[in-house]
Amino acid sequence: MPRLSLSSRLALLFAACTAVVSLFAGVLFSRASEAHFVELDQQLLDSKLIGVRRALHDIQSRDSEVKLADELSPQADLSLRITGSDGRRWYDSSASLPDLLPQKPGLSTINDHGTDYRVLNAPLFDDKPDSPQLTLLLDITHHQHFLQRMQHLIWMTVGLSALATALLGAWAARSGLRPLRRMSTIASGVSAHSLNARLPEESMPSELAEMAHSFNEMLGRLDDAFQRLSAFSADIAHELRTPLSNLLTHTQVTLTRPRPIEDYREALHSNLEELQWMAQLVNDMLYLAKADHGLLMPKREALDLAAEADVLLEFFAPLAEDVRVTLSRVGSGHLEGDRSMLRRALSNLLDNALRFTPADGEVRVKIIDQPKGLSLTVENSGDGISKELLPRLFDRFYRVDPARHEGSSEHAGLGLAITQSIVRAHGGTIHCESENGWTRFVIELPKEV
Amino acid sequence: MKLLIVEDQPKTGQYLRQGLSEAGFNTELVADGSTGQQLALSGDYALLILDVMLPGRDGWQILQAVRSAGLDTPVLFLTARDAVEDRVHGLELGADDYLVKPFAFSELLARVRSLLRRGSATPQETSLQLADLRLDLIRRRVERGGQRIDLTAKEFALLEMLLRRQGEVLPKSLIASQVWDMNFDSDTNVIEVAIRRLRLKIDDEFPNKLIHTVRGMGYVLEERPA
Repeated sequence: MPRLSLSSRLALLFAACTAVVSLFAGVLFSRASEAHFVELDQQLLDSKLIGVRRALHDIQSRDSEVKLADELSPQADLSLRITGSDGRRWYDSSASLPDLLPQKPGLSTINDHGTDYRVLNAPLFDDKPDSPQLTLLLDITHHQHFLQRMQHLIWMTVGLSALATALLGAWAARSGLRPLRRMSTIASGVSAHSLNARLPEESMPSELAEMAHSFNEMLGRLDDAFQRLSAFSADIAHELRTPLSNLLTHTQVTLTRPRPIEDYREALHSNLEELQWMAQLVNDMLYLAKADHGLLMPKREALDLAAEADVLLEFFAPLAEDVRVTLSRVGSGHLEGDRSMLRRALSNLLDNALRFTPADGEVRVKIIDQPKGLSLTVENSGDGISKELLPRLFDRFYRVDPARHEGSSEHAGLGLAITQSIVRAHGGTIHCESENGWTRFVIELPKEV
Repeated sequence: MKLLIVEDQPKTGQYLRQGLSEAGFNTELVADGSTGQQLALSGDYALLILDVMLPGRDGWQILQAVRSAGLDTPVLFLTARDAVEDRVHGLELGADDYLVKPFAFSELLARVRSLLRRGSATPQETSLQLADLRLDLIRRRVERGGQRIDLTAKEFALLEMLLRRQGEVLPKSLIASQVWDMNFDSDTNVIEVAIRRLRLKIDDEFPNKLIHTVRGMGYVLEERPA
């Protein structure tokens, strides 16, 4: 079952609120007026009781009945019943009085054959225990009618006001939610070809501005990722084209005429190099694809980063000595992470640094342990990288030197992208800065993910 | 020593069999999972090389059947998929090693040899030797032709590995993993440099060279006729 729309929900909520409020007010008002009527009746009956008692004071006289009639007559809706202490009925001022009346003393309300009475029971003589009982009856049918009418009115008000607020609320909600609909219109227009659409953040109400901002940022990220992805596919094709065409050409040329066995061996060796390069490329791309799908799941093992860095520096030591570059490490720190992945990340950075450090230069690994996280810097002396190129360094297949060199040890330009994926899988960030003859790759890793 | 290869892709299977046979192994190749499982359960094999995706029964099912039959034949998996779950699944079921396509044959061969060696207890050696090259494991000394050679710790480890597996072509990735504990594909030429430096100390002054480069595959330590 589809959920109710937001506007309908708001309208219903408005209606319910109004209904509750008006119902409450109505009930309060009807209670108050009823209490007021009871009070009025009580006053009236009390004063009549005094008159009746006075009239009956001297019961022997015949004109006491006249007095009684005088007392009752101005009030047509008032009747009197006198009951003896033995329960026998002595006197009814009117013939149509109900047979059964409440016996308890004081005020009560009864209904008899469609007529409502307010009944007041009181002894004729306050001080005698076996005094005859006086029962004063006040016909309050018209009061009750009035109250009933008022109740109808209240119910009608409740219903109508609920309906009215539902309609008004629906309208208000719809117009209030207009920016959301605008958002949805823009969102529905977004496709791979139009990722540059953006919401007007300034014209959004404050509650939605933040959401619009996030939405725009999301679009920005999508746009960026999509651009890179499109470039990536094109690059893959391009990267594979060169070795493939080498393979094709070389194999076909070799096969065109009989050759000495050495030539075949040479051809196979050459092909092997191209193939190994391609295999490495494919493996690297699969690794990145895995990272893109969130499938790089780093293990969490306690790592002594100083020890890890030293192991890597030892690994690279022969290479560094070869190119006369000094390797060193300062600082230490501990972190939970995936040893193999982080080694790979760091190894790519060191390999990269050694590649761009001139002879007699220096490559340093710096570890700074902070309470929240850890920063791992690989810096190398050298010419540095111009500022415009820095953000592109982590792009796949990006090479600072665009001319591709021949040879099997040529990098496909995926090393830094892989490093970035590994750092991200650990919840960290990596960036590069270059100044004063030092190029610095800074990895920031959180201690807890 | 008999190996069983269960691989349904004809070219891959054929090349694997040829390569392993030429490396001195008695190899049998089947293309479907059911036959593969029957053969594997016979217990006649020293090693099983299984592709994951197979017609009939897949590699995992074969492995399960083999393990539940109580056989501890080493199993090496070949797969085109490199999903983490695959790897975990395979290892949980009791696979001994795992190679993701595309892989280099030299890598496969080195792993096959490692797996076959794993079971057999090697006698405690105190020294390793090839021709006039001698490596004293206890005093951690290397001599060639009676001449003492100073090696760094890693050079010593590298030479020890080459000596222990003399005659085998060792791919760079295996050397990086065994000597430096770097278990990832790396296109760095550190290993080339390390081998070159070792050669400088071991081979340069001597007429018969012992460390040889097998182009595109790795390095081998062996005595070759001049």
